[in-house]
Amino acid sequence: MNDDLSSHERELFAALPRQSAADPIATERLVARLHAEGLVRKSESSASSAFTQRPSRRAPRIAVQLAAAVALFAVGALTGARIASRGSLERELARTDLGVADRVLLLQRAGSAYVTAANGYADATKRADSTAVEVANQVLRGAAHAVVRSSLNSRTASDILNVLQARDTTARKPILWY
Amino acid sequence: MPPHEPVREPTDSTLIRRFLDAGDEFAFRALHERHTPHLRMLLARLLGSQRDELDDIVQDAWLAGCRGLGTFNGTAQFSTWLTTIGIRAAWARLNAGRNGDGYASVSADSPEPDELAAPPLPATTTTIDLERALDRLNAHQRAVVVLHDVEGYTHAEIAEQLGLTPANSKVTLFRARGALRRMLDDGEPR
Repeated sequence: MNDDLSSHERELFAALPRQSAADPIATERLVARLHAEGLVRKSESSASSAFTQRPSRRAPRIAVQLAAAVALFAVGALTGARIASRGSLERELARTDLGVADRVLLLQRAGSAYVTAANGYADATKRADSTAVEVANQVLRGAAHAVVRSSLNSRTASDILNVLQARDTTARKPILWY
Repeated sequence: MPPHEPVREPTDSTLIRRFLDAGDEFAFRALHERHTPHLRMLLARLLGSQRDELDDIVQDAWLAGCRGLGTFNGTAQFSTWLTTIGIRAAWARLNAGRNGDGYASVSADSPEPDELAAPPLPATTTTIDLERALDRLNAHQRAVVVLHDVEGYTHAEIAEQLGLTPANSKVTLFRARGALRRMLDDGEPR
């Protein structure tokens, strides 16, 4: 039974189609059957040819984490600000329930704050700055007027006013107080 | 900026692992899309006139494959493994309506005298002629000639797939080729 194919016969067999496209309906029926048998579970993407382009589940999770981080930062910042402002000079000055002793302490703190602010400004400008002198004089003069009006110490207040007015007409130098 | 690396298709073993580990529908669809076209064409040729059952048999093959995928050890290619399941499913369907003497009962040593002198196919024969002639063969001859001359299986492999002996496969192929040549001798199947 020596029955080799001729070259033409080989070419004919080789030229026969080797593939037949799957029927989409039959494919879906098969997938449904596999689901029913519990052999497959629904995947996020059923686009069969885009295997490498699966959508990530991480994106929504990252967004939630980011929102949580922002919220946590906001709560922390708010709490920190409230704690920091609890004993601040501005907050204490606004209080109406303080006694005389407390008011004296506040006055002392305000004076120290004034000096610190003036020194800081002078250091920042590194030289005698007319604006710094003007600001310091205006603040100090306003404070002296307030002292005079409230009759806390009229003699001292008058002396301060005199000094300030005299210095305004002579030289402009950085304010050094205390 | 370095050039983009080409996107690599996942291997069969990667998809199988995902299917087994997680029942990944996406992995199954990728396997199905990759291997069904060849399986479907092969089974269509085997079924011949019973081609209306083709999609049922393709589905049966995939179902059996998915159920038994845990036993696939990877020594053979997945396509070979799946095709074997499909061929056996089709063969079982073709034999289902026969009484007792299945297609396997072919004499291995007695080719008929008129089969010995069949000339080669004429040069005018086309692939369409050949397809039509294949459909006209009986199921046994068609299975052997399709597996041997179209798909390239050896007689030992065909014997294992169809439950024959290798000698039986050789005789059947000899007869099938003779039948094809006679059908196409005058340019079209008789």
